[in-house]
Amino acid sequence: MSDRGTTLVVDDSSVNRLLLVKRLETLGLDVMQAENGVEGLAVLAANPGVIDVVLLDVVMPELDGYQTLAAMKADDAMRHIPVLVVSSVEELDSVVRCIELGATDYLTKPINPSILAARIDASLAAKRLHDLEAESLERQTALNRTIQRQKEELSRFLSPQVAALVSSTEGEQLLAGHRREITVAFCDLRGFTHFAEQSDPEEIFGVLAEYHRMMGSAITEHGGTLEHFAGDGVMIFFNDPVPQEDHVERAVRMAVAMRTRFEELESAWRHRGYELGFGVGIAVGYATLGRIGYDGRHDYGAIGNVTILASRLSSQAQAGQILLSPRAQMMIEGIVESEDIGELTLKGLTRPVQATNVVALR
Amino acid sequence: MSEVPVLDQSVLSELQETTGDDPDFVRDLVETYLGDVPLQLNGIDEAIAANDAEALVRPAHTLKSSSVTLGALRLGEVSRTLEMAGRSGTLDATARESAATAHAEWANVQQAIDAWLAEQAKQ
Repeated sequence: MSDRGTTLVVDDSSVNRLLLVKRLETLGLDVMQAENGVEGLAVLAANPGVIDVVLLDVVMPELDGYQTLAAMKADDAMRHIPVLVVSSVEELDSVVRCIELGATDYLTKPINPSILAARIDASLAAKRLHDLEAESLERQTALNRTIQRQKEELSRFLSPQVAALVSSTEGEQLLAGHRREITVAFCDLRGFTHFAEQSDPEEIFGVLAEYHRMMGSAITEHGGTLEHFAGDGVMIFFNDPVPQEDHVERAVRMAVAMRTRFEELESAWRHRGYELGFGVGIAVGYATLGRIGYDGRHDYGAIGNVTILASRLSSQAQAGQILLSPRAQMMIEGIVESEDIGELTLKGLTRPVQATNVVALR
Repeated sequence: MSEVPVLDQSVLSELQETTGDDPDFVRDLVETYLGDVPLQLNGIDEAIAANDAEALVRPAHTLKSSSVTLGALRLGEVSRTLEMAGRSGTLDATARESAATAHAEWANVQQAIDAWLAEQAKQ
């Protein structure tokens, strides 16, 4: 294979073909040849991606230059290959027709070697450019496919908001860490440890799968960002990465929806002999959010007292309780019916916390 | 037509110069031409005999372009006349005359080429 390129000479005159082949070889090109259009198209079809320029005679038996050109232009695999029409001086009308049909340029017989060299160079450059574009398009398409697949994969592991963040332009900045007020809802199951100790792994996974499915749909419906599942414990936050003005309300509405849906699961489980209850803790406050972890394994997480408070409230919640921190209670007073639980002494917090339980939505 | 040479040797010399890496190439080319012309003349005769103008175009065209390529300019011209006659769609007496001229020119071309080949063999 020559580095310069491969040409196809289509001409029925053996003298002209012989000379043209010689001239092209002198220019350092590989040359294939055909005696008419039918043969020419067959050579093109048999050598996909090989031929860089076609030199096409106009007057030929079987299939003439026009028909050959039209057939090439109608074929996706051949349409981009430059075609130089070779004609006699008297045939300028036919040259015009060929250019209209998509020929790149023309050469008059007898062929002048310098003009041939120039036309070939121009055609090879055009072909190379086309090939580069096609290659780059192909690479881009493959890359897009990979990115799309990665996004889909990611969205199965991360919350959709975080998956979207990873592939957005401002994502890197947000991932690098930022401070924001968020609402954290921490949910877990009463009696889960006891249940887990007594049950087969298959049972445990079955229960968790039902529970997570129920939680997942409620999280998505309310626009929560799932921080993590840890067995029966699930941490969700609001107002990040997507800002939500009504983040406290969303968290409370989600928790109430979960509690309602949990009742159905709970009764089904009770029939199977599992005693499990659902508790939630909700707190509002500032946290630092961003990428947490080490090379190769990161989570998008929230760090701050607010997460600890929500977690502690959750562990204090009785089955069916949704406990609010004082600040959360204050911010949604108008839309919930709540009852005072009194001061709770929470592990790791120096001062007792005045908690309320959400009885119902107003 | 008489000013036009039977065989313009400068065309052959130029071909030799521009394909210089292969000294036998032009001789091979000329020999291919010598083998091809009778086929085209045959095609011309058949078209004239059948009074088929369209069938005249291709052999006349091929004869024209290969003749011009090798410097057989007179044969090239008469072939051109025949090609035009074929394209015009009607074959008149002039076309028949041209066909006869083509045969006569072909005899001249053969002589001239033989002489040129003999000259080349000496060098």
